[in-house]
Amino acid sequence: MAKSDDCVHILQGLLVFGNVVIGLCGIALTAECIYVVSNSDGPYPLLKATENRDIHAAAWIGIFVGLALFALSILGIIGVVRASRTLLLVYIILMLITFAFEMASCITAATHQDSLTPDLFLKQMLERYQKSDPNKNSDNEVTKTWDELMRQNHCCGVNGPSDWQDYMSAFRLTHSDADYPWPRMCCVLDAQGSPVNLDGCKLGVSGYYNSNGCYDAISGPVNAHTWGVAWFGFAILCWTFCVLLGTMFYWSGIEY
Amino acid sequence: RGCSEGSAPSTAPPRLLPADKVRHKPALTQEKLEGVTTASTFVLDQPRCVFNNYSTAVIWLVVALDKDAYAFNNSAGPGTNETAFQRFPDPVHAYMTLNVTLNSYPCPKPAGDITVLRVGSETSCAQDETRPTCNGPLPGPGPYRVKFLALEGSVPVAETYWSAPITLRTAKSPNSIPTTSSGHSAGMIAITTILSILFAILLAGLVAMLVFWGSDSCGSSTFGKQESVSVRRYNTHHVYDQPAARL
Repeated sequence: MAKSDDCVHILQGLLVFGNVVIGLCGIALTAECIYVVSNSDGPYPLLKATENRDIHAAAWIGIFVGLALFALSILGIIGVVRASRTLLLVYIILMLITFAFEMASCITAATHQDSLTPDLFLKQMLERYQKSDPNKNSDNEVTKTWDELMRQNHCCGVNGPSDWQDYMSAFRLTHSDADYPWPRMCCVLDAQGSPVNLDGCKLGVSGYYNSNGCYDAISGPVNAHTWGVAWFGFAILCWTFCVLLGTMFYWSGIEY
Repeated sequence: RGCSEGSAPSTAPPRLLPADKVRHKPALTQEKLEGVTTASTFVLDQPRCVFNNYSTAVIWLVVALDKDAYAFNNSAGPGTNETAFQRFPDPVHAYMTLNVTLNSYPCPKPAGDITVLRVGSETSCAQDETRPTCNGPLPGPGPYRVKFLALEGSVPVAETYWSAPITLRTAKSPNSIPTTSSGHSAGMIAITTILSILFAILLAGLVAMLVFWGSDSCGSSTFGKQESVSVRRYNTHHVYDQPAARL
Protein backbone atom coordinates (compact mmCIF):
# COMPACT_ATOMS: atom_id res chain seq x y z
CA MET A 1 0.00 0.00 0.00
CA ALA A 2 2.80 2.34 0.82
CA LYS A 3 4.28 1.72 -2.55
CA SER A 4 1.02 2.61 -4.23
CA ASP A 5 0.97 5.73 -2.10
CA ASP A 6 4.34 6.64 -3.53
CA CYS A 7 3.05 5.99 -7.03
CA VAL A 8 0.17 8.31 -6.38
CA HIS A 9 2.46 11.00 -5.13
CA ILE A 10 4.76 10.59 -8.09
CA LEU A 11 1.87 10.74 -10.53
CA GLN A 12 0.43 13.77 -8.79
CA GLY A 13 3.81 15.42 -8.81
CA LEU A 14 4.25 14.73 -12.50
CA LEU A 15 0.82 16.02 -13.32
CA VAL A 16 1.35 19.18 -11.32
CA PHE A 17 4.68 19.70 -13.01
CA GLY A 18 3.09 19.07 -16.41
CA ASN A 19 0.38 21.58 -15.71
CA VAL A 20 2.88 24.17 -14.55
CA VAL A 21 4.73 23.79 -17.82
CA ILE A 22 1.48 24.07 -19.75
CA GLY A 23 0.60 27.23 -17.88
CA LEU A 24 3.96 28.82 -18.64
CA CYS A 25 3.79 27.77 -22.29
CA GLY A 26 0.30 29.22 -22.49
CA ILE A 27 1.62 32.59 -21.36
CA ALA A 28 4.50 32.34 -23.82
CA LEU A 29 2.13 31.45 -26.65
CA THR A 30 -0.08 34.41 -25.85
CA ALA A 31 2.86 36.76 -25.77
CA GLU A 32 4.22 35.44 -29.04
CA CYS A 33 0.89 35.67 -30.82
CA ILE A 34 0.35 39.21 -29.58
CA TYR A 35 3.74 40.05 -31.05
CA VAL A 36 2.83 38.48 -34.39
CA VAL A 37 -0.50 40.27 -34.50
CA SER A 38 0.90 43.66 -33.67
CA ASN A 39 4.10 43.51 -35.65
CA SER A 40 3.18 45.53 -38.69
CA ASP A 41 6.49 46.74 -40.01
CA GLY A 42 8.78 45.14 -42.49
CA PRO A 43 7.26 43.16 -45.31
CA TYR A 44 3.89 43.02 -43.66
CA PRO A 45 2.19 45.35 -46.21
CA LEU A 46 3.12 42.84 -48.89
CA LEU A 47 1.33 40.15 -46.95
CA LYS A 48 -1.66 42.38 -46.46
CA ALA A 49 -1.74 42.97 -50.19
CA THR A 50 -1.82 39.28 -50.91
CA GLU A 51 -5.14 39.32 -49.07
CA ASN A 52 -4.17 36.23 -47.20
CA ARG A 53 -4.85 36.88 -43.57
CA ASP A 54 -4.60 33.31 -42.36
CA ILE A 55 -1.56 33.98 -40.27
CA HIS A 56 -3.55 36.70 -38.53
CA ALA A 57 -6.41 34.34 -37.76
CA ALA A 58 -4.01 31.69 -36.50
CA ALA A 59 -2.31 34.22 -34.24
CA TRP A 60 -5.59 35.49 -32.81
CA ILE A 61 -6.66 31.95 -31.99
CA GLY A 62 -3.24 31.47 -30.43
CA ILE A 63 -3.76 34.38 -28.05
CA PHE A 64 -6.97 32.95 -26.66
CA VAL A 65 -5.67 29.42 -26.57
CA GLY A 66 -2.67 30.60 -24.58
CA LEU A 67 -4.86 32.26 -22.00
CA ALA A 68 -7.13 29.24 -21.83
CA LEU A 69 -4.16 26.95 -21.33
CA PHE A 70 -2.96 29.08 -18.45
CA ALA A 71 -6.36 29.08 -16.74
CA LEU A 72 -6.92 25.39 -17.31
CA SER A 73 -3.50 24.50 -15.98
CA ILE A 74 -4.40 26.15 -12.69
CA LEU A 75 -7.66 24.21 -12.67
CA GLY A 76 -5.74 21.06 -13.38
CA ILE A 77 -3.31 21.61 -10.53
CA ILE A 78 -6.17 22.16 -8.10
CA GLY A 79 -7.99 19.10 -9.41
CA VAL A 80 -4.96 16.86 -9.12
CA VAL A 81 -4.04 17.99 -5.64
CA ARG A 82 -7.60 17.63 -4.37
CA ALA A 83 -8.14 14.41 -6.37
CA SER A 84 -11.56 15.66 -7.35
CA ARG A 85 -13.21 13.70 -10.11
CA THR A 86 -15.55 16.48 -11.15
CA LEU A 87 -12.85 19.09 -11.43
CA LEU A 88 -10.63 16.79 -13.40
CA LEU A 89 -13.43 15.80 -15.74
CA VAL A 90 -14.19 19.44 -16.44
CA TYR A 91 -10.49 20.03 -16.89
CA ILE A 92 -10.12 17.19 -19.39
CA ILE A 93 -13.10 18.22 -21.47
CA LEU A 94 -12.11 21.89 -21.61
CA MET A 95 -8.55 20.93 -22.43
CA LEU A 96 -9.76 18.83 -25.34
CA ILE A 97 -11.68 21.78 -26.71
CA THR A 98 -8.61 23.98 -26.35
CA PHE A 99 -6.53 21.27 -28.00
CA ALA A 100 -8.87 21.29 -30.98
CA PHE A 101 -8.62 25.06 -31.38
CA GLU A 102 -4.87 25.10 -31.11
CA MET A 103 -4.71 22.28 -33.63
CA ALA A 104 -6.70 24.42 -36.05
CA SER A 105 -4.37 27.35 -35.44
CA CYS A 106 -1.23 25.30 -36.08
CA ILE A 107 -2.52 23.76 -39.26
CA THR A 108 -3.69 27.14 -40.55
CA ALA A 109 -0.32 28.71 -39.85
CA ALA A 110 1.54 25.86 -41.55
CA THR A 111 -0.72 25.97 -44.60
CA HIS A 112 -0.35 29.71 -44.84
CA GLN A 113 3.39 29.42 -44.80
CA ASP A 114 3.21 27.00 -47.72
CA SER A 115 1.24 29.47 -49.74
CA LEU A 116 3.88 32.20 -49.55
CA THR A 117 5.88 31.11 -52.55
CA PRO A 118 8.22 33.38 -54.49
CA ASP A 119 5.75 33.25 -57.37
CA LEU A 120 3.06 34.82 -55.24
CA PHE A 121 5.21 37.82 -54.42
CA LEU A 122 6.53 38.00 -57.97
CA LYS A 123 3.09 38.24 -59.45
CA GLN A 124 2.03 40.84 -56.91
CA MET A 125 5.16 42.91 -57.52
CA LEU A 126 4.78 42.82 -61.30
CA GLU A 127 1.14 43.79 -61.15
CA ARG A 128 1.32 46.48 -58.51
CA TYR A 129 4.76 48.04 -58.27
CA GLN A 130 4.73 51.60 -59.61
CA LYS A 131 1.24 51.14 -60.87
CA SER A 132 0.22 54.74 -61.19
CA ASP A 133 -3.38 54.41 -60.15
CA PRO A 134 -4.20 57.19 -57.70
CA ASN A 135 -7.37 55.49 -56.51
CA LYS A 136 -5.87 52.35 -55.15
CA ASN A 137 -4.01 53.19 -52.00
CA SER A 138 -2.86 49.65 -51.48
CA ASP A 139 -0.76 49.82 -54.66
CA ASN A 140 1.10 52.80 -53.26
CA GLU A 141 1.72 50.76 -50.13
CA VAL A 142 3.15 47.97 -52.22
CA THR A 143 5.38 50.39 -54.13
CA LYS A 144 6.63 52.06 -50.98
CA THR A 145 7.26 48.73 -49.30
CA TRP A 146 9.21 47.40 -52.25
CA ASP A 147 11.27 50.59 -52.54
CA GLU A 148 12.13 50.42 -48.86
CA LEU A 149 12.86 46.69 -49.11
CA MET A 150 15.16 47.10 -52.11
CA ARG A 151 16.98 50.04 -50.60
CA GLN A 152 17.54 48.54 -47.20
CA ASN A 153 18.44 45.03 -48.23
CA HIS A 154 20.36 45.94 -51.40
CA CYS A 155 18.29 43.58 -53.48
CA CYS A 156 16.19 43.77 -56.63
CA GLY A 157 12.95 42.06 -57.56
CA VAL A 158 11.95 38.72 -56.11
CA ASN A 159 14.46 36.48 -57.85
CA GLY A 160 16.73 39.19 -59.24
CA PRO A 161 16.73 42.09 -61.75
CA SER A 162 15.89 39.62 -64.50
CA ASP A 163 12.32 39.54 -63.16
CA TRP A 164 11.82 42.91 -64.79
CA GLN A 165 13.12 41.60 -68.09
CA ASP A 166 11.42 38.22 -68.12
CA TYR A 167 7.93 39.51 -67.44
CA MET A 168 5.74 42.38 -68.47
CA SER A 169 4.79 44.57 -65.55
CA ALA A 170 2.90 47.70 -64.56
CA PHE A 171 6.29 49.29 -64.12
CA ARG A 172 7.22 48.49 -67.72
CA LEU A 173 4.09 50.26 -69.00
CA THR A 174 5.30 53.60 -67.69
CA HIS A 175 9.06 53.19 -67.89
CA SER A 176 10.80 52.30 -71.13
CA ASP A 177 13.01 49.29 -71.22
CA ALA A 178 16.01 51.17 -72.59
CA ASP A 179 15.99 53.79 -69.82
CA TYR A 180 14.84 51.50 -67.03
CA PRO A 181 15.77 47.89 -67.59
CA TRP A 182 15.00 47.61 -63.87
CA PRO A 183 13.84 50.18 -61.33
CA ARG A 184 16.25 52.82 -60.09
CA MET A 185 16.00 51.34 -56.62
CA CYS A 186 17.92 48.35 -57.93
CA CYS A 187 20.93 50.58 -58.50
CA VAL A 188 23.58 51.14 -55.88
CA LEU A 189 22.60 54.50 -54.44
CA ASP A 190 24.69 57.18 -52.85
CA ALA A 191 23.83 59.09 -49.71
CA GLN A 192 21.46 61.40 -51.57
CA GLY A 193 19.54 58.52 -53.06
CA SER A 194 20.67 58.80 -56.66
CA PRO A 195 22.52 56.06 -58.51
CA VAL A 196 26.28 56.05 -58.12
CA ASN A 197 26.74 55.20 -61.80
CA LEU A 198 23.57 55.25 -63.83
CA ASP A 199 25.09 53.81 -66.99
CA GLY A 200 26.75 51.07 -65.01
CA CYS A 201 23.43 50.29 -63.40
CA LYS A 202 21.61 50.17 -66.72
CA LEU A 203 24.25 47.93 -68.21
CA GLY A 204 24.24 45.70 -65.19
CA VAL A 205 27.88 46.08 -64.20
CA SER A 206 28.42 44.34 -60.92
CA GLY A 207 29.03 46.83 -58.16
CA TYR A 208 26.61 49.37 -59.54
CA TYR A 209 23.40 47.41 -59.23
CA ASN A 210 21.86 44.93 -56.80
CA SER A 211 21.99 41.50 -58.30
CA ASN A 212 20.24 39.37 -55.66
CA GLY A 213 16.55 38.90 -55.25
CA CYS A 214 14.60 40.10 -52.24
CA TYR A 215 12.76 36.88 -51.56
CA ASP A 216 15.06 35.93 -48.70
CA ALA A 217 14.54 39.29 -47.07
CA ILE A 218 10.78 38.84 -47.27
CA SER A 219 10.48 35.23 -46.34
CA GLY A 220 12.85 35.45 -43.40
CA PRO A 221 10.68 37.46 -41.00
CA VAL A 222 7.46 35.96 -42.31
CA ASN A 223 8.74 32.45 -41.81
CA ALA A 224 9.91 33.31 -38.33
CA HIS A 225 6.42 34.43 -37.38
CA THR A 226 4.71 31.48 -38.96
CA TRP A 227 7.02 28.85 -37.59
CA GLY A 228 6.73 30.45 -34.19
CA VAL A 229 2.99 30.06 -34.18
CA ALA A 230 2.82 26.69 -35.91
CA TRP A 231 5.68 24.73 -34.40
CA PHE A 232 5.59 26.16 -30.93
CA GLY A 233 1.90 25.38 -30.83
CA PHE A 234 2.68 21.87 -32.02
CA ALA A 235 5.22 21.38 -29.24
CA ILE A 236 2.75 22.60 -26.64
CA LEU A 237 0.14 20.23 -27.96
CA CYS A 238 2.44 17.24 -27.75
CA TRP A 239 3.23 18.06 -24.16
CA THR A 240 -0.45 18.63 -23.41
CA PHE A 241 -1.25 15.25 -24.92
CA CYS A 242 1.04 13.54 -22.44
CA VAL A 243 -0.34 15.48 -19.49
CA LEU A 244 -3.92 14.73 -20.53
CA LEU A 245 -3.21 11.03 -20.85
CA GLY A 246 -1.68 11.07 -17.40
CA THR A 247 -4.67 12.96 -16.04
CA MET A 248 -7.10 10.47 -17.58
CA PHE A 249 -5.18 7.64 -16.00
CA TYR A 250 -5.14 9.45 -12.68
CA TRP A 251 -8.85 10.20 -12.95
CA SER A 252 -9.79 6.62 -13.58
CA GLY A 253 -8.00 5.61 -10.45
CA ILE A 254 -9.62 8.04 -8.08
CA GLU A 255 -12.13 6.63 -5.67
CA TYR A 256 -15.28 8.59 -5.35
CA ARG B 1 44.97 40.60 -98.03
CA GLY B 2 43.89 43.73 -99.90
CA CYS B 3 46.26 46.65 -99.38
CA SER B 4 46.47 49.89 -101.18
CA GLU B 5 43.22 49.29 -103.06
CA GLY B 6 41.49 49.93 -99.82
CA SER B 7 42.42 53.59 -99.72
CA ALA B 8 40.70 54.53 -102.91
CA PRO B 9 41.40 57.85 -104.66
CA SER B 10 38.47 60.16 -104.13
CA THR B 11 37.88 60.65 -107.85
CA ALA B 12 36.96 57.02 -108.47
CA PRO B 13 33.24 56.18 -108.34
CA PRO B 14 32.67 54.46 -104.96
CA ARG B 15 30.60 51.62 -106.32
CA LEU B 16 33.44 50.12 -108.27
CA LEU B 17 35.77 49.67 -105.32
CA PRO B 18 34.62 47.21 -102.67
CA ALA B 19 35.42 48.08 -99.09
CA ASP B 20 38.09 46.05 -97.35
CA LYS B 21 36.87 43.18 -95.30
CA VAL B 22 38.45 43.57 -91.89
CA ARG B 23 38.84 40.32 -90.03
CA HIS B 24 36.50 41.08 -87.18
CA LYS B 25 33.11 39.72 -86.33
CA PRO B 26 31.08 41.93 -84.03
CA ALA B 27 29.58 40.03 -81.15
CA LEU B 28 27.71 40.51 -77.93
CA THR B 29 30.11 41.44 -75.21
CA GLN B 30 31.76 38.71 -73.23
CA GLU B 31 31.72 40.82 -70.06
CA LYS B 32 29.50 39.57 -67.25
CA LEU B 33 26.78 42.17 -67.49
CA GLU B 34 23.21 41.68 -66.42
CA GLY B 35 21.95 43.77 -69.29
CA VAL B 36 23.82 42.14 -72.19
CA THR B 37 20.47 41.84 -73.89
CA THR B 38 17.29 43.42 -72.72
CA ALA B 39 13.96 43.74 -74.47
CA SER B 40 15.11 46.64 -76.64
CA THR B 41 18.88 47.01 -76.24
CA PHE B 42 21.97 44.91 -76.55
CA VAL B 43 25.61 45.40 -75.75
CA LEU B 44 28.51 44.87 -78.20
CA ASP B 45 32.21 44.86 -77.64
CA GLN B 46 33.85 47.93 -79.07
CA PRO B 47 35.90 47.26 -82.22
CA ARG B 48 39.28 48.00 -80.66
CA CYS B 49 42.43 47.49 -82.72
CA VAL B 50 40.31 46.61 -85.74
CA PHE B 51 40.42 49.67 -87.95
CA ASN B 52 44.04 50.59 -87.28
CA ASN B 53 44.82 51.29 -90.91
CA TYR B 54 41.97 53.68 -91.40
CA SER B 55 42.81 56.43 -89.02
CA THR B 56 40.90 59.10 -90.92
CA ALA B 57 37.71 57.09 -91.31
CA VAL B 58 34.48 57.45 -89.38
CA ILE B 59 33.27 54.14 -87.99
CA TRP B 60 29.54 53.51 -88.22
CA LEU B 61 27.46 50.71 -86.84
CA VAL B 62 24.99 49.15 -89.25
CA VAL B 63 22.02 47.38 -87.67
CA ALA B 64 19.73 45.24 -89.78
CA LEU B 65 17.18 42.54 -89.34
CA ASP B 66 18.66 39.12 -89.84
CA LYS B 67 16.73 38.51 -93.02
CA ASP B 68 17.69 41.83 -94.57
CA ALA B 69 21.35 41.85 -93.64
CA TYR B 70 22.89 40.62 -96.83
CA ALA B 71 20.79 42.96 -98.92
CA PHE B 72 22.50 45.98 -97.36
CA ASN B 73 24.42 48.13 -99.78
CA ASN B 74 27.58 49.69 -98.35
CA SER B 75 27.13 52.78 -100.41
CA ALA B 76 23.95 53.73 -98.65
CA GLY B 77 24.68 57.02 -96.98
CA PRO B 78 24.15 57.48 -93.28
CA GLY B 79 21.67 60.06 -92.11
CA THR B 80 19.48 59.71 -95.17
CA ASN B 81 15.94 58.52 -95.42
CA GLU B 82 17.15 55.12 -96.54
CA THR B 83 19.07 54.55 -93.34
CA ALA B 84 17.06 56.55 -90.81
CA PHE B 85 16.49 54.85 -87.50
CA GLN B 86 12.99 56.23 -87.13
CA ARG B 87 11.86 54.39 -90.28
CA PHE B 88 13.28 51.06 -89.18
CA PRO B 89 12.30 48.22 -89.74
CA ASP B 90 9.77 49.20 -92.31
CA PRO B 91 10.44 50.63 -94.89
CA VAL B 92 14.07 50.98 -93.88
CA HIS B 93 15.73 47.58 -93.62
CA ALA B 94 18.98 48.65 -92.03
CA TYR B 95 19.99 51.79 -90.20
CA MET B 96 23.31 53.33 -89.36
CA THR B 97 24.21 54.84 -86.05
CA LEU B 98 26.90 55.29 -83.40
CA ASN B 99 29.32 57.15 -85.63
CA VAL B 100 32.69 57.83 -84.06
CA THR B 101 36.23 58.48 -85.18
CA LEU B 102 38.97 56.06 -84.46
CA ASN B 103 40.03 58.15 -81.45
CA SER B 104 37.08 56.72 -79.60
CA TYR B 105 38.42 53.22 -79.98
CA PRO B 106 42.04 53.59 -78.87
CA CYS B 107 44.27 50.62 -79.30
CA PRO B 108 45.34 48.73 -77.24
CA LYS B 109 42.45 48.39 -74.89
CA PRO B 110 43.46 49.14 -71.30
CA ALA B 111 43.22 46.02 -69.17
CA GLY B 112 40.37 46.04 -66.72
CA ASP B 113 38.30 48.59 -68.61
CA ILE B 114 34.87 47.66 -69.77
CA THR B 115 34.73 48.79 -73.39
CA VAL B 116 31.28 48.22 -74.72
CA LEU B 117 28.70 49.80 -76.94
CA ARG B 118 25.09 49.81 -75.85
CA VAL B 119 22.86 49.69 -78.89
CA GLY B 120 19.48 51.20 -78.16
CA SER B 121 20.34 53.51 -75.31
CA GLU B 122 19.16 56.84 -76.72
CA THR B 123 15.50 57.26 -76.02
CA SER B 124 15.27 61.02 -76.42
CA CYS B 125 15.62 60.98 -80.21
CA ALA B 126 13.73 57.79 -80.93
CA GLN B 127 10.80 59.68 -82.46
CA ASP B 128 12.80 62.66 -83.72
CA GLU B 129 12.96 62.50 -87.50
CA THR B 130 15.64 65.21 -87.55
CA ARG B 131 18.02 62.74 -85.94
CA PRO B 132 18.14 59.83 -88.36
CA THR B 133 21.34 58.50 -86.85
CA CYS B 134 19.76 58.09 -83.45
CA ASN B 135 20.86 55.09 -81.41
CA GLY B 136 17.29 54.39 -80.47
CA PRO B 137 15.77 51.36 -78.73
CA LEU B 138 15.15 48.45 -81.03
CA PRO B 139 11.55 47.90 -81.95
CA GLY B 140 11.32 44.17 -81.50
CA PRO B 141 13.10 41.07 -80.34
CA GLY B 142 14.85 40.63 -83.69
CA PRO B 143 16.93 38.67 -84.54
CA TYR B 144 19.32 41.39 -85.69
CA ARG B 145 22.70 41.43 -87.31
CA VAL B 146 25.25 44.22 -87.00
CA LYS B 147 28.49 45.18 -88.64
CA PHE B 148 30.91 48.05 -88.48
CA LEU B 149 31.49 50.15 -91.55
CA ALA B 150 34.34 52.64 -91.96
CA LEU B 151 33.56 55.59 -94.21
CA GLU B 152 35.93 58.24 -95.44
CA GLY B 153 33.68 61.05 -96.48
CA SER B 154 30.94 59.05 -98.09
CA VAL B 155 33.18 56.29 -99.39
CA PRO B 156 33.13 52.95 -97.61
CA VAL B 157 36.69 51.88 -97.06
CA ALA B 158 36.44 48.99 -94.67
CA GLU B 159 33.83 46.78 -93.12
CA THR B 160 33.70 43.91 -90.69
CA TYR B 161 31.81 40.69 -91.10
CA TRP B 162 28.18 40.58 -90.17
CA SER B 163 27.67 39.37 -86.63
CA ALA B 164 25.78 36.24 -85.71
CA PRO B 165 22.04 36.82 -85.28
CA ILE B 166 21.30 38.59 -82.01
CA THR B 167 17.94 37.90 -80.42
CA LEU B 168 16.63 40.13 -77.68
CA ARG B 169 14.65 39.11 -74.65
CA THR B 170 10.90 38.77 -74.76
CA ALA B 171 8.80 39.48 -71.73
CA LYS B 172 6.11 37.02 -70.73
CA SER B 173 2.84 38.08 -69.25
CA PRO B 174 2.61 37.88 -65.47
CA ASN B 175 -0.51 35.80 -65.90
CA SER B 176 1.73 32.96 -66.89
CA ILE B 177 3.06 32.77 -63.34
CA PRO B 178 1.36 29.86 -61.63
CA THR B 179 -0.42 30.96 -58.48
CA THR B 180 -2.05 27.70 -57.47
CA SER B 181 -0.25 26.24 -54.55
CA SER B 182 2.36 23.71 -55.44
CA GLY B 183 1.20 21.20 -52.92
CA HIS B 184 1.81 21.02 -49.24
CA SER B 185 5.13 20.88 -47.55
CA ALA B 186 6.24 17.94 -45.47
CA GLY B 187 6.03 20.02 -42.32
CA MET B 188 2.40 20.86 -42.76
CA ILE B 189 1.48 17.27 -43.52
CA ALA B 190 3.41 16.09 -40.47
CA ILE B 191 1.69 18.59 -38.19
CA THR B 192 -1.74 17.69 -39.49
CA THR B 193 -1.26 13.95 -39.27
CA ILE B 194 0.36 13.84 -35.89
CA LEU B 195 -2.08 16.25 -34.30
CA SER B 196 -5.06 14.38 -35.71
CA ILE B 197 -3.77 11.11 -34.31
CA LEU B 198 -3.10 12.64 -30.91
CA PHE B 199 -6.53 14.20 -30.82
CA ALA B 200 -8.16 10.92 -31.78
CA ILE B 201 -6.31 9.10 -29.01
CA LEU B 202 -7.43 11.70 -26.48
CA LEU B 203 -11.03 11.43 -27.60
CA ALA B 204 -10.85 7.67 -27.34
CA GLY B 205 -9.40 8.03 -23.87
CA LEU B 206 -12.20 10.35 -22.86
CA VAL B 207 -14.81 7.95 -24.15
CA ALA B 208 -13.16 5.08 -22.31
CA MET B 209 -13.13 7.14 -19.14
CA LEU B 210 -16.81 7.95 -19.33
CA VAL B 211 -17.79 4.40 -20.28
CA PHE B 212 -15.95 2.91 -17.35
CA TRP B 213 -17.10 5.61 -14.95
CA GLY B 214 -17.44 4.30 -11.53
CA SER B 215 -16.46 0.72 -12.30
CA ASP B 216 -13.25 -0.40 -10.73
CA SER B 217 -13.14 -3.42 -12.92
CA CYS B 218 -9.82 -2.33 -14.36
CA GLY B 219 -8.24 -3.56 -11.19
CA SER B 220 -5.72 -0.78 -11.15
CA SER B 221 -4.60 0.31 -7.80
CA THR B 222 -7.16 2.65 -6.47
CA PHE B 223 -6.05 5.38 -4.22
CA GLY B 224 -8.17 7.42 -1.98
CA LYS B 225 -8.00 10.95 -0.92
CA GLN B 226 -5.35 12.18 1.34
CA GLU B 227 -7.28 11.33 4.46
CA SER B 228 -6.31 7.86 5.44
CA VAL B 229 -8.86 5.23 6.27
CA SER B 230 -8.80 4.02 9.76
CA VAL B 231 -9.16 0.32 10.15
CA ARG B 232 -10.62 -1.01 13.24
CA ARG B 233 -8.72 -3.81 14.73
CA TYR B 234 -10.67 -6.13 16.77
CA ASN B 235 -9.08 -7.56 19.81
CA THR B 236 -10.75 -10.61 21.11
CA HIS B 237 -10.68 -9.17 24.50
CA HIS B 238 -11.11 -5.45 23.96
CA VAL B 239 -12.91 -3.29 21.48
CA TYR B 240 -11.02 -0.15 20.67
CA ASP B 241 -10.02 1.96 17.70
CA GLN B 242 -6.59 1.83 16.43
CA PRO B 243 -5.63 4.31 13.82
CA ALA B 244 -2.80 2.08 12.94
CA ALA B 245 -3.38 0.92 9.48
CA ARG B 246 -2.78 3.46 6.86
CA LEU B 247 -2.94 2.71 3.24
